[in-house]
Amino acid sequence: MKSLRERFTRFLSPGALVILILAIASIVTALVLPRTETKGIPFWVSAQPHYESYRPIVAEWNARHPDRAINLMLIHGHALERRMLTGFLAGTPVADLVEPNSSTAAKGFAGPLESVGYYDLTERIQAEGLLDRINAPSFAPFTTRGRIFGLPHDVHPVLLAYRADLVEAAGIDVSTIETWDDYFRVMSPLMRDRDGDGRPDRYLLEAWDANAIATIILLQQADGQLLDGDRPTVNLPRNAYILARLVTWFTGPKRVCIDINQDSAIGHRQRLEGQVIGCLLPDWRAGQWKRENPGLGGKLKLMPLPAWEKGGRRTSVFGGTMLAINRRTEHFETCWEFAKELYLSPRLAEQMFRETNIISPVKELWASSFYDEPDPYFSGQPSGRLYIGQAPHVPVRTSSPYYAYALQAVCNVLAELRAFADRTRTYDVSTLQAEAQRLLDREQRRTEREIERNVFLQADS
Amino acid sequence: MKSGRPHAPLTPWVFLAPYLAGFTLFFAWPLVRSLVLATEQTYGPKVTVYVGLLNFRSILGDPMFWTAVGNTALFTACSLLVQVPVALGLALLLNRPDIRGRRFFRLAFFSPSIVGLAFVAIIFGLLLEKRTGLVNTSLHTLLPAWDPDFPWRENYVMISLVGSTLWLSAGFYMVYFLAALQNVPRELLDAASIDGAGSWQRFRHVTLPEIRPVLNIIVLLVITGSFQLFELPYVLYNDTYGSGPENRALTVVTYLYRTGFHSGDLGYASAIGWVLTLFLVGFALVHRHLTRREET
Repeated sequence: MKSLRERFTRFLSPGALVILILAIASIVTALVLPRTETKGIPFWVSAQPHYESYRPIVAEWNARHPDRAINLMLIHGHALERRMLTGFLAGTPVADLVEPNSSTAAKGFAGPLESVGYYDLTERIQAEGLLDRINAPSFAPFTTRGRIFGLPHDVHPVLLAYRADLVEAAGIDVSTIETWDDYFRVMSPLMRDRDGDGRPDRYLLEAWDANAIATIILLQQADGQLLDGDRPTVNLPRNAYILARLVTWFTGPKRVCIDINQDSAIGHRQRLEGQVIGCLLPDWRAGQWKRENPGLGGKLKLMPLPAWEKGGRRTSVFGGTMLAINRRTEHFETCWEFAKELYLSPRLAEQMFRETNIISPVKELWASSFYDEPDPYFSGQPSGRLYIGQAPHVPVRTSSPYYAYALQAVCNVLAELRAFADRTRTYDVSTLQAEAQRLLDREQRRTEREIERNVFLQADS
Repeated sequence: MKSGRPHAPLTPWVFLAPYLAGFTLFFAWPLVRSLVLATEQTYGPKVTVYVGLLNFRSILGDPMFWTAVGNTALFTACSLLVQVPVALGLALLLNRPDIRGRRFFRLAFFSPSIVGLAFVAIIFGLLLEKRTGLVNTSLHTLLPAWDPDFPWRENYVMISLVGSTLWLSAGFYMVYFLAALQNVPRELLDAASIDGAGSWQRFRHVTLPEIRPVLNIIVLLVITGSFQLFELPYVLYNDTYGSGPENRALTVVTYLYRTGFHSGDLGYASAIGWVLTLFLVGFALVHRHLTRREET
């Protein structure tokens, strides 16, 4: 009688047999392994500090409402974006509550209005008076074609953080600074060659043509605009003027800016070494610096952004997150009740400020005393109060899905303009402005073309 | 010796079935679907509008697309002119028996190809960094007048891309050339030497014809690989979503990715993909025609 092995090896080689056994074992293991059933209404969050702040509040909610529990889940930002958009577009599962940032949120607005995956909250927000309670500009990134699709999490005003230790050691008085021209003039003694190689080793502001964040912060502060709704306004003369002035900051005899990597260890080291005096700092980035660059603690102070012209805006805005409800949810009332409890909560506002430096968009909470506490990181200044002081003045932004495209176009123009200035040794604003206008006109046509291809937006408008 | 039982007529199909299923599911169906998608504007599979050839017409008049094509073609030409000669030169050098430690050098030159383009992009990004990058700090130390903020990545986009790829790929193609060189008959080279041929003549008239099939394959690989360039510019110029300053690093595949996954315009992205396919098929046909003509 043939052995078992001979019977098998008649059909399969020993190697193939091993592969087959492993395949069967894997399938059986996968089937037998117990599944972890998630209980409660799913709530996707991608920011770790938000997740940490929400946990105790969600735990309390779940204790009070065991039948309507919330299942808070932290997932990576890219995963949230892909899973959310795929779910909205193709019907795969999406959490009932999602917290996308403004750029991710905007990608959900590219289709026809009736296909937007977020629940339309416009009537609820209006009926319950939330438009009056929440800082109005904070709704803008989450509003498309007149409809509001999310509750704003934040305001994200921008202040100027400067190296107070260096400024004060040089006997400089910042109280006289009102405009950017004032700032560069007053601070100019600090920009000098420290190692004797004939080049400055310290610059006055962290901004560069490749730094899209600084560019958009400064452009918005100056009332520059990329889009009006879904209509491109890339070639506004104001934009050309701002870009021309920025180029004179980046290159030429009056250069005052340095290119520092935004969120890297190298960038933090450069700031710590004092290679730059001032930085455009949204409230959330202040919290990030506290965690990632504690060595700067006690060396910095905050002040409103110097204005572009006397009497001009002293702040800008960058970043933003909303809490949205999936329009396919079967638990809308619970989601809405929870969303309001979470985002309007005084406790969350305090916890969020203490852990992330982010101020609440809920105006009635701005009087809270914790915003007045001295902040040792900013040399004892009440950083919360300083940010709140500028919160009502943040510029209104767009929610267009073409925002990233238009911003890229403007950044390209800025890079081209700097190259033009270096090539032709032209550093006067009026000549640069004419060139900027020419380049922006070209980008305007390209952006219009890009948007015109979207038949859904054209139909809705 | 024949086996005892004849194969049933279905037996080959049973063995082929897993491959055919995978091919149909992951290649044939997506291919057909992407062609349909290229004629639509979509917002997910549920919301689609048939636009006919509009996407293809838009591509023809899209300056960004042609910028991407120009950049990609320039990168391909530079890669061909740099990578292939360097790889062949390295192979010729490391094929010489009198080179000491040649096994080590072969491994050393080949090793970058293990890491992948994204890793290479991160390394070169750090090397070329302003003020803190190794290149600028070294030059500033050696020449104090050197600007430590010299913008290598911004000013020399194509050189940065080609240089990074060279570091990664030269050793990889060198291995192909080494294998081909080791198959060049020794007696032919000896006979040429006896006939008075110098080293250049031996290379030109003996070695090169013998390794030509491998050279042709490498040329084809470099062209198709260069036209699919994506990860390197995407990571090296991450701050501009892979476009680089003034779109000088924008490649066809980066543009396709941006259109499909940043702008969400999958129909237009599919059309770009098909145009890219036509380019590559065209190159392959021309290449095949030329190599066949050489063979005959």
